[in-house]
Amino acid sequence: MLAYVVRRIFFGLIVLAGASLITFTIAYVVPADPAVAVAGAKADPQTLAVIRRQLGLDQPLYIQYARYVDHALHGDLGRSYIRREAVTGLILSRFPATAILAISAIALSLLLGVAAGALAAAYRDRALDNWLLVAALTLVSTPVFWLGTLLLIGGGLYLRWFPLGGFDGPLSLVLPTLTLALGSAAYYSRILHASLGEALDQDYVRTAIGKGLSRRAAILRHAMPNAILPLVTIAGLDFAGLLSGVVLTETVFNWPGLGRLAFEAVFNLDLPLIMGTVLFSAALVVAANLLVDLLYAWLDPRIELGAGRN
Amino acid sequence: MDARVEFPARPMRARAALAAMAFALALSACRAGSPAPIFPPGAQVLHLASLDDIPTLDPAAGYDVDSWMFEQMIFDTLIRYSDSGVDLVPDIAASWTASPDSTVFTFHLRRDVRFSNGRAVASADFKYAIERVLDPKTRSKGMEYYRGIAGAADFAAGRANSVAGIETPDPWTIVFRLSAPDPIFPHKLAMPFAAAVPREVVARYGEDFSRHVVGSGPFMLRQWIGGQRLVLVRNPDYFVKGVPRLDGVVEAIGVNEDLQWFRFETGAIDLSAIPPAVFPYVIKTSRLKALTMRIVTMTTRYLGMNCQMPPFTDVRVRRAMNYAIDKRKLVAVINGRGIPANGVLPPSLPGYDPDLRGYPYDPARARGLLENAGYPHGFTATVWLPADQTMMILAQSVQQDLALVGVQLKLKPVGFAPLLDAIRQPRTVPLFFSGWEADFPDPANFLDVLLSRAQWGANNDSWFYDPRFDALLAKAKPLADPARRFALYREAQRIAVADPPWVFLYFPVTWQIRQPWVHGLVLNPMRPARLDRVWLSPHPSPK
Repeated sequence: MLAYVVRRIFFGLIVLAGASLITFTIAYVVPADPAVAVAGAKADPQTLAVIRRQLGLDQPLYIQYARYVDHALHGDLGRSYIRREAVTGLILSRFPATAILAISAIALSLLLGVAAGALAAAYRDRALDNWLLVAALTLVSTPVFWLGTLLLIGGGLYLRWFPLGGFDGPLSLVLPTLTLALGSAAYYSRILHASLGEALDQDYVRTAIGKGLSRRAAILRHAMPNAILPLVTIAGLDFAGLLSGVVLTETVFNWPGLGRLAFEAVFNLDLPLIMGTVLFSAALVVAANLLVDLLYAWLDPRIELGAGRN
Repeated sequence: MDARVEFPARPMRARAALAAMAFALALSACRAGSPAPIFPPGAQVLHLASLDDIPTLDPAAGYDVDSWMFEQMIFDTLIRYSDSGVDLVPDIAASWTASPDSTVFTFHLRRDVRFSNGRAVASADFKYAIERVLDPKTRSKGMEYYRGIAGAADFAAGRANSVAGIETPDPWTIVFRLSAPDPIFPHKLAMPFAAAVPREVVARYGEDFSRHVVGSGPFMLRQWIGGQRLVLVRNPDYFVKGVPRLDGVVEAIGVNEDLQWFRFETGAIDLSAIPPAVFPYVIKTSRLKALTMRIVTMTTRYLGMNCQMPPFTDVRVRRAMNYAIDKRKLVAVINGRGIPANGVLPPSLPGYDPDLRGYPYDPARARGLLENAGYPHGFTATVWLPADQTMMILAQSVQQDLALVGVQLKLKPVGFAPLLDAIRQPRTVPLFFSGWEADFPDPANFLDVLLSRAQWGANNDSWFYDPRFDALLAKAKPLADPARRFALYREAQRIAVADPPWVFLYFPVTWQIRQPWVHGLVLNPMRPARLDRVWLSPHPSPK
């Protein structure tokens, strides 16, 4: 187990190095001069030359990359060109808001998704299953920015139950959480419906019911633990995505998270901030993948980590 | 292994995981955000909202509307623009004089001005501020405005410890000696780049000064949470008695235009932009229309044509483009928030030429000109534009107009920085949408900066060159007498309109809406509105 974790961390570091190299290359080959992004539209060539020299942009690309990696290894992701603040500090200041939203959204989507999926599977091919299917398809097809705006108009503007965006206390969490969770929950419910339906056709479930176990108990205690594994994989990756920031939801709800920070960085061609947010997101995805694999083994002891090649 | 053996344990694990998650959620939700500072009941607090975070509060670094709006509340310059116009009025300077040849400018400071840390503001603070802008280490966007001061180049190159052309004979006098006549130099001192900053505070915080700004202006920074809010409080020691009238200003950050409007409707913010979708509703509703304010800004929007790339090397083609595009329709597309352009200089700019006719919409004439130029069936061209929704709508309108005269446009939306970079490369971008906002109210800020030969590869993005035009600019530049100066600039503008490097599209009009309880607010055509004299009458708190 420990050897597996160490090996995964090692490969994770290689992924991060690759991500940093690719991002750095893409960022520097786009046909745009970062000095223009720093100095603004009106800067004269002399000012641009001074800024290029100050930022080290007149150095060969490999030297710039080596310097970036050296600093990154010491926890310094550079300074934002536009805000002139430490990138590490900017990311860390935005991460709590994103983490809170990600945790609440994933928790709610799992709760709703598992409940709806289990109900749909339990009532397979009956009216409830069909209604849940319609609801799920509707929610999956609803664009997040539109749903978010509707919830804001309904819950914030007319009913005035919730704040109109912002990050001020538990109530402000409700609408963005719902916006993110409803679509995911619908998707999860369909995945669980399929895998649970498959599990319910297995002999061990039929045997359990034949031995006198109630259908409800057979679903919850026998079918569900096996059926939920695909959901864990998808939810794990979704969680990593949520932790990396959700631009649309954050923009609609004025949520000060990583997604908006990354969006602003790209919009302003703020290369150190682009690099920092990409690296941070890559690290989160690597960590989430590792955690999902560990969770797999925890949920299903038949899975032996790192034993695949034997 | 019989899977059933393991099952009873799992619901327990699942319950434990859910409980842990719920606990984490509750804990995190309780900590969500940081409470805004509490102003005492009845305090006059103006609530604003913006989409973008404030890039910086450091006056040496900021060069955008959001930064300048707050910098001008926190810092003071020697002179500034009046609240509603572009005439220069005293700020910290009580008086000033200029030499007849516009090379020496002397300012006498008030003696009762203090930074909010208690220290008196002296002439050395202004000298330090400008040296800081000129220092390459600061990477200031404003350095080009002060290179004309004698000794600035030596200082910037590290050959001198201070700028020889800035003298501070006593704490209340500062003298600027320029290396060449520049009658508009005082305008450059009204830019926030030249605001007094306390050296000791900059030395203490270095690049983080932006987060710990100390100035002498009417407000002081109390709180700035990135992406969430910025809070300013009244500076009780501000040198103008009775100002500011507000106790504080709270800006919610990251609020998109639609959300701003919702918040405005609930009374949660006191001022708002008007989103395009609700603009017609606002104008039709007399209650709301009465709360709107509008001003023609010193901005020109144009479709640039690269005068070095065929077919735009031919002036007949460039004139045809001007006749072919219906500017009134463009203005209608943006809800009437603009004035069709007749030339380079906007109507609010001193030196504007009201007699200039420009190019009326005349597709028949455009077709004739194209035929004469050898394009009887038109041509195909690619137009580069910033990737933004409004620009796309405008570009589609232009595309339709040009198709009527046989010119087929391909739209190429790109990010702003790549667009800027590309148009500065010779013979790269044939057509592009662009605009220019005045830095100071003088025709030189448009004609010199955008169309002179010296600006090739920089701001002259249409690569325009006419020796007669440049000669007129050179004659006008050193003149201090506005009448003679503007006459020459008007003549130069007529050359640029007759040999058009751009399709002159429109001059934007800014609209804002305020709550009925907001008083004393005045819009300025060139700078963000000052809030020093704004006050609020009693009003219900937002629910």
